[in-house]
Amino acid sequence: MNPVVSVLFVGGVLGIGAYVVAVLDRAFGPVSRGPRDWFVWPIRRAAFLAVQRRTETERPDAEAWILAPALLAALAAAGLTAVPVTPSLAVADVSAGVVLFGAAMIIVMVAVFLQGWSPNSLFPLIGAYRFAAMALSFGIPFSLVVLTTAIPAESLSVGAIVASQEGLWNVVRQPLGLPVYLVTGAAVAFWGPFRIPEGTDLAGGAVLEASGSARAVWRIARAGVLVTLSVMGAAIFLGGHLGPVLPGWAWTALKTLVLLAVFVWSGHAFARMRVERFVWFGWVVLLPVALVDVFASGILAL
Amino acid sequence: MGLRGWLGRLAVGVEVPVFPVVGGGAREAIQDLRLRPELELVDSPRHAAVMLVVGAFPPGDVDGLAQVHDQLAPPRRTVRWGGEPVASLPDAVVVDGGEDAVVAAITETFAELMSDPDRGEPPILPDVDPVEWRGVGPYGQGGMGMTGGTPYGRPMAERGPARDGLELDRVPITIGPWLPTLPPGLRLDVVFQGDVLQEVEVGPAPIVPGEGSDLFVRALTEPVPIAEMELARARHHLRLLAEILRVEDLAVASRRALRLVHGIRPGATGEVERLAAALVRAGLYALALRGVGRLDRPPPGPAARATGVAVDARSDDPEYRKLGFEPVTVEGGDAAARVRLLLAETVQALELAAKAGPARAGGRGVVEAPRGRLEVGEPPPERTLLDLAPEVLVGQEWGDAVTIIHTLDLDVEAAGREIPV
Repeated sequence: MNPVVSVLFVGGVLGIGAYVVAVLDRAFGPVSRGPRDWFVWPIRRAAFLAVQRRTETERPDAEAWILAPALLAALAAAGLTAVPVTPSLAVADVSAGVVLFGAAMIIVMVAVFLQGWSPNSLFPLIGAYRFAAMALSFGIPFSLVVLTTAIPAESLSVGAIVASQEGLWNVVRQPLGLPVYLVTGAAVAFWGPFRIPEGTDLAGGAVLEASGSARAVWRIARAGVLVTLSVMGAAIFLGGHLGPVLPGWAWTALKTLVLLAVFVWSGHAFARMRVERFVWFGWVVLLPVALVDVFASGILAL
Repeated sequence: MGLRGWLGRLAVGVEVPVFPVVGGGAREAIQDLRLRPELELVDSPRHAAVMLVVGAFPPGDVDGLAQVHDQLAPPRRTVRWGGEPVASLPDAVVVDGGEDAVVAAITETFAELMSDPDRGEPPILPDVDPVEWRGVGPYGQGGMGMTGGTPYGRPMAERGPARDGLELDRVPITIGPWLPTLPPGLRLDVVFQGDVLQEVEVGPAPIVPGEGSDLFVRALTEPVPIAEMELARARHHLRLLAEILRVEDLAVASRRALRLVHGIRPGATGEVERLAAALVRAGLYALALRGVGRLDRPPPGPAARATGVAVDARSDDPEYRKLGFEPVTVEGGDAAARVRLLLAETVQALELAAKAGPARAGGRGVVEAPRGRLEVGEPPPERTLLDLAPEVLVGQEWGDAVTIIHTLDLDVEAAGREIPV
């Protein structure tokens, strides 16, 4: 794809996706004033953040503070490039697409750490360290279930993984994969019960000191990560653009919307998990389930 | 009109982000504001446009208020609701009247602010370093006299042994008294190692107890209707539950509990039971509370009943015995047990209120208040719980500490009151 078109395409998908996340978040959230409000509220909220000034803290790491949201948005964009939206339309359906996506999602940890570190403030710093402490616990099972989808396709290309689901979607072939992906994906996006680095106990944690445009960009970038996770989840577990009657892009959009709705709903449905409990859950529950997923898929492929 | 003005007009319909600063006698009023659709009460001053100062404060400059004001991101305004103007906040819009009046004042102030963002309040304090900055590198490293003690008006992190035998930085810091994550007025002087509390002291609260009579204090000296007391207990428990759910990031359930406070009726236990079931499904116990803050020797009251000990002053009251009262207990002693007890006692209180009819109890010099045993000549249960806090909080991670503070129902204002003899 032409580089300029690619940038516009990825930016457009992330922008529209972030707006959809905000609409869904309002609809599922504690304050919901009906459908018109769901669609208008994100615009008004963005306008307020645009008017509000950015704050400065005492001796921050100013460059890193600017870099953190930009890095988060860039990682969401990088992950998105590997997914074919239709059989012929992908920004870069590279031969190791799922590896590129997995790497981008794991580096989200660096962006969150920078966001918490740079204001030179206690609660954001605790939030940053919490996420670093969580990262290995969700990172390994997340990577395992993503890579397992490559086994039936005998390829790491996302296009090939989608094509391999022509007769049977991976959500059926690998029934443990999607549940583990959704749980660990929410943790990658520090969303819902995994809002551990940004918990209310830390008064906002990593994002406590951010205001105005800095906070808006961080929120949009985080929504972008959820969009990328949903687009990729739709591609590697739900057959991506495959489906009858409707065009390929419409199937991709529909399946993405379903996963996005599940992610956003979970954000309001569960209590925030304790870090210690999460680490236990990651190693004692998620990792063994992910390993069973790998072995079962391997045996089926033999 | 420039772009900023146009965006400001567009922003007017959004919930006004308000940072609440809560003094004496205003805890319930500020909690009720959380149900107002026009406002969003935020936890960080950085996220707010309006600082709402409510309740009673000591005369003169109140510690920390000007700093909090300056931490609000511009454009910002201050609203003082009820009580005397606060000397530290000279530019505040003063509002008297009820909830509707203050909501109207806040939305109006916000609309003015958004229509002309340059007319916000300037900082109160000078933007200067607390003492001369002598650091050399970009982060202060390498400067003469910049290590050890408090070289820059800020205590330096000193190393000390941690719980696993490693040497880690010890960071002394004051948290509160205006942090909405903590109960109003609670100030903790703590030493952190990582996010573990190594030392905890409860600092002086810069608030003045609010006026108004407490039904349970009145019941020490005169009989009062049991139904009234039990409904007050149910309301108290639901308010506490709403606060616990808020800090555990269950905002939807927290609002549901808060709405129940205003809708409860004697005997109507169904909605409370449905809320209790919803909290199990939301993973409140499994994900957030189980095993946190287990107490060995809790003081008499709900904390003790959450360890399975049936200690309750109502057991000795003949009027309550006539109603067949038996104390509710829950095994476990942790935060999960305390919340389960809270819900079970709410249901029990509503049932008792229905059964009691016009019966009255009290006037015996001792009464079971929502936070524990209230007795003439003895310190209030809130003070006993507050005195217990440092011992319980040391060694806890910050998140667990917040859970413990709320499930123990710490209340600085009530801890400061004197029980009439």
